[in-house]
Amino acid sequence: MRSTPHLDVLPPLVEAGKTDELVESGRTLFTAVSPLNDSYAVFLVPLFEKLSTRPKPTDSDEQNVYFVSSKPPPSTERRLFIGDTSIIFAAMQNLTKTVDKNGVYSTQQESIQRSIRKLALDYVNFARECWIHTSRMAGEIDQADADHYRSLYTCLSLFTILYLPEYGMENAPVGDDLMEWLNIHFIEPSTEEGDHLSGLERPWEDETFWPYLTRAILRGLPKAVAFFLGTLAEHPSGNLRRLAQSIIPLLSTQPKLQHFDAERDFAYASHRWREKVKMLRIELDDVPESDRRDSFEDWWDRFSDIVGILEGREEVIRKVCEDLGADWREVCVAWGVFVDTRLRRQDLPDVVAQVLEDMPPDPTILEDMVHVALFMGDPLKALEHAAQLDPWLSAHLADMMEPLSLVEQQAVNDESELSVREFYVLSYTHYLHSDPAMWRITVSYMYSCGKVGAAAADEILVRVPLRLQSKPSNTNDSSHSQADQGDLSAVVKDVNATCHEYQREAARRTVCKIAAQTFVQRKEYGLAISYYSSAEDWPGLGRVIDRVLQEYIRSGPEQYTKFVSGIAPSLQGLRANSAAHGVFIHRLMFAVRYAEFHQRLLNRDLQDAAWDLVSMLQEGIAPKAWWAVLLCDAIELLQYDPTPLFSYASACTLLRDLDEIISRTAQGAGEDYLKILESKLQIDGQKDSQKQLQLVRFALAKYFARCAMIGTGGTQTVRRMVDPTV
Amino acid sequence: MPAPSSGVVPVETAHDDMIHDAQLDYYGKRLATCSSDRTVKVFDIVNGSPSKAASHTLKGHTGPVWQVAWAHPKFGNMLASCSYDGKVFIWKEQAQGTTSGEWTKIEEHALHTASVNSISWAPHELGAILACASSDGKISVLTLKDDSKWVPDIFNAHAIGCNAVSWAPATHPGSLILPQQPGTHQPSAFKRLVSAGCDNLVKIWCFREETQSWVEEERLEGHTDWVRDVAWAPNIGLPRSYIATASQDKTVLIWTKDSPTSPWVKTALDPSASTTPNPAGKFPDVVWRVSWSLAGNILAVSCGDGKVTLWKENLQGIWECVSDLAS
Repeated sequence: MRSTPHLDVLPPLVEAGKTDELVESGRTLFTAVSPLNDSYAVFLVPLFEKLSTRPKPTDSDEQNVYFVSSKPPPSTERRLFIGDTSIIFAAMQNLTKTVDKNGVYSTQQESIQRSIRKLALDYVNFARECWIHTSRMAGEIDQADADHYRSLYTCLSLFTILYLPEYGMENAPVGDDLMEWLNIHFIEPSTEEGDHLSGLERPWEDETFWPYLTRAILRGLPKAVAFFLGTLAEHPSGNLRRLAQSIIPLLSTQPKLQHFDAERDFAYASHRWREKVKMLRIELDDVPESDRRDSFEDWWDRFSDIVGILEGREEVIRKVCEDLGADWREVCVAWGVFVDTRLRRQDLPDVVAQVLEDMPPDPTILEDMVHVALFMGDPLKALEHAAQLDPWLSAHLADMMEPLSLVEQQAVNDESELSVREFYVLSYTHYLHSDPAMWRITVSYMYSCGKVGAAAADEILVRVPLRLQSKPSNTNDSSHSQADQGDLSAVVKDVNATCHEYQREAARRTVCKIAAQTFVQRKEYGLAISYYSSAEDWPGLGRVIDRVLQEYIRSGPEQYTKFVSGIAPSLQGLRANSAAHGVFIHRLMFAVRYAEFHQRLLNRDLQDAAWDLVSMLQEGIAPKAWWAVLLCDAIELLQYDPTPLFSYASACTLLRDLDEIISRTAQGAGEDYLKILESKLQIDGQKDSQKQLQLVRFALAKYFARCAMIGTGGTQTVRRMVDPTV
Repeated sequence: MPAPSSGVVPVETAHDDMIHDAQLDYYGKRLATCSSDRTVKVFDIVNGSPSKAASHTLKGHTGPVWQVAWAHPKFGNMLASCSYDGKVFIWKEQAQGTTSGEWTKIEEHALHTASVNSISWAPHELGAILACASSDGKISVLTLKDDSKWVPDIFNAHAIGCNAVSWAPATHPGSLILPQQPGTHQPSAFKRLVSAGCDNLVKIWCFREETQSWVEEERLEGHTDWVRDVAWAPNIGLPRSYIATASQDKTVLIWTKDSPTSPWVKTALDPSASTTPNPAGKFPDVVWRVSWSLAGNILAVSCGDGKVTLWKENLQGIWECVSDLAS
C-alpha cells in the first residue's frame, strides 16, 4: 500500500517524535471540518479519563486552533486553467447529453467521435498554452508549475493519438503519429549538440558525432541527417564516403503513411524500400575489415547500427537506445517506424510489454506511469496514476473515456454506486472546493455525477456565503440604501439562478430562507417577505409580519408605518400567488391596513382614520389579539370634539367587540385578547389593561351620549357609511 | 501536482484552560470554542485566519464546557453549549444593524442530573431542535415552538451513561421537492437519532407522531467497550444510510443500511495497513471522535494516539485511509 499523505501543523504543537509525550500527558488531537473549503480546524484536547489528574496548562499555545488542508488552494495561473478548461468540460457535457439511458447515442457515432476529438484537442492546446505561459514566467513562479503543465500536455496528447485518432483511422498504423509525439515532447538529439558539431571541420572526429547521427536517424530528422552525412564526403575512407552517399537518398525516400491514400500502397512502398536497405547492407558487408576503422572510431560498427535500424532489427534498436540513454518510449515508438511499420494501436500493448521487461519505467515519475498505462491500453491504470499526478487530469480523461467506452458506464460496485468517471470527476471537485470562490465550477462538475454528485453540490450551494452583511446600510439615505440592496442580493440571485439551472428546488428554498432570516435581523422586512414567499415558507412569512407588528408595539406608529411601506408592495404579488397560504396573507393585509390607519392619524385625517378602524373590525381583518389595541386607538377619535367621527352603527361595533373582550377575559381567555395590548402597555410604562378598556368603555359611553344629543345617527356620519373609499 | 506552501496562522483562543471542542459555523466563517475555563468563545475567521476584530466570550456555565454546536442560519445565529454542570445553554446573537451583535443566553436547559456530554442540532428541515446526551443516561430533545418557547422531551437511553448523539438526515435520500401545489402536503420529514452509550451499545431512536414520544427503534451491537462517539452521515444522494461509531475498544465501525427495510451491516475500519502493526481492525489507542465531511464522503477519526486519520471509500468500495494529521 502506498504511504498516505501526511500533514503536520506549523508551528508544531508537539515537537517531532514527541507524540508519545502528548499521549502520556492525556491529550490528543480533535478536528472539525470547515464547510467553507473542506479544511480542518485542529486542536489539542485533554482526554476525559485523565482530566482530574491533569495539571492546569501554562502554555497558551496549547489552546490554539490550527487550520490545515490537504489541498492547497489553486494559484492564479491554475485558476485560469481550471476556468478555461471547465468551458470545454461543459461542451463535453452537452455532447454526452445526447446519450440515452442505454448508453446509445442518438447522434451518429462518427459525429460524436469527431466532436470528442475536437474537444480533446482543445484540452491539449490549453495544456500547451499553460505550459508555454508558465515556462516564460519561470523565475517569477515555480519552475515546477511549468513542468506540471508540460506533463499534462504530454499525457493528453498521447491519449488523443492513441484513443482518439481521426475518424476512420483507428485501424491505421500508428508509428508515424507516435514519432511525431515523441519529437514534440521529448526533443532529442539536442540543438546544442547539433550546433556544436556543425561548427567542426571534421565532425566525425568528435565523440558525439555518431551518437548524434544515429539518434537523428532514429527520430527521422531528415535535415540534420542529410547535413551530417554530407560532411562525411570529406572522410578519409572512400568506403564510408560512398556508403554515406548511398544512404542519403534512402533516408529521404523512406515511405510515410501520410503520403499514401491506401495502406496497401504504403505497405508495398515500404517493402520495396526495405529491399533497397538490403542492398546497402550487402554493400556495407563488402567493406574490407582493414577499412572499418578511422583513427577515432570503429565507423563501420556505427554505420552498421544505422543500417540495422533501417532494416528494423529489434535487437539493434534496443541496443542503440540503451547506448544513447533513451528510455522505453523511444524503443516502442521506433518499433512502429522501423520494426513493424504496420503496427496498430491494438498491437502496441504486446510490443510495450516486451520492451518494458528490459527497460522498466521509473515508478516514481507519475507522468511516465500514465504514459505506460496509455501505451498498454489500460485506461483504468492510466486514471489511477493520473489522479496522483493531478486530479484535473484523471477527471477530464475519465470524462472522455466514458463516451468512448474505454471505461464502464455502469457503477463499478454496489458500495459506492459510482461509475469510474463519476469517481474521478468527484475527486476533482473535492480539490476544487479548496477554493470556495470557485463554487460555480465546483457544482457544475458535481451535477454531472448523478445523485451522489447532486447531493454534494447541494451542500456547496446552500453554503455559498451570501454576503448579506458585507456593507453597512444607512436607512436615512434612501439612494445609498437602494444601491446597497442591489448589491446585497447579488449572490443570492446568483445562487438562486444556479439552483434553477440544475433544478435543485430544495437547495434554492433553503438559501432563500437563510437570506430571509438575515433580512429580518436587519429589519429589511420587504426583502425578507419576498424571500420567504420565494421559498414558499408561509409560516416564515407570518413571522415577519409578526415582527413588523411588534415594531408598532416597540417603536410606535411612525416607525411602524415606515416598515410597512417596505412590505406593502409584496401584498399584491402574494394575492396573485395561488400557493400562498391564506392565513398569512390575511395577517399581512391587516398589517398594511393598520399602517394606513396610523398614517391617516399622523396626517390628522381623522374621519378616514375612524372609518378605517371600524372597517378593520367589521371586515374581520383585525386579529382578535389586536382588538383591544384598536379600541384603545379609538379613544382619541371618540373624544374628538369638533365633530363625531363614528356613525351610531360603527360605535355599536366598537361596543360589541369591547363586550366580547371583557366577557371572554372574564371566562379566562384573556391571553387571547389582551396579550398584545399588555405588551404595548408594558413598553409604554403602564400595566393595567383592564383600566385601559374601562377608558374605552367610558369614551364610548360619552360618545353615545353625544349621539343622543345630536340626534341618532347624525347626518355627517351616515354619509360616511355610504362612501367607502378604502 | 505543485503544492504551494501556505502559512498557517493559528487562532489563539486565549482560553484559560484546555479547550474541549471547536466548531465552525455553517459557512466556515466563524469559530466557536469551549473550554475547561467554563466559557465559550466566538471568533470571526477571515481567509483562514482569525479576524483582529472583537471576539466574544460567553459566560454562564459553572463547569467545563464539553461541546458547542451551531444551529442552521435560517434560525438566526444560534449556538448551543453543554457542560459538566449538567446544563445546556442556547445562545443567540442579537443583530445590531450590520455589525456582529452581542450574544445572549436565550435558553437554559437544566433537566439533566449529570454532565451533558454531547449536543447535536437536528436537520434544519425539522425545525430548531437540539438533542443532548448526558451521563445521567438520558437523552433530551429541545424543540423551539412558535419562534419563542423551548419545549423539552427527555427519556432514558443508556444504562450507565450516554456519550454522544447524532441525527439522521431529514429527507429520504434522493427525494425531490417540487413546487408545492395548494392543498397538497409534503411527506412529513421523520425525526430519528442515534446515540452512543457506556453500555457498549449504539441505539437508534425514532419520534412517533401518534404517541408524541421517542421510542427505541434498533440497537446496534458490535463494540466491546464504551462507545465514545457516533456520527450519522449526511445524505449522500443514495438510498443508503451510514453511521460511524468510535469506541474505547479501539475500533471504528461503519454501519450501513442499504434501504429503509434492510438490516444494518457493520464494517471495521482497518488502520493496520498504514500505521504500526496492530491487530487487523484495531487502532493503536481508544478512538474518541468520528465526524463526517459535509458531502458524507470523508470520515475524520481522532484516536488517543495523538493522530487524526481521514478515511474515504475507494472505487472498490473499501474504506481507505487517505490522509493523516499529526501535531
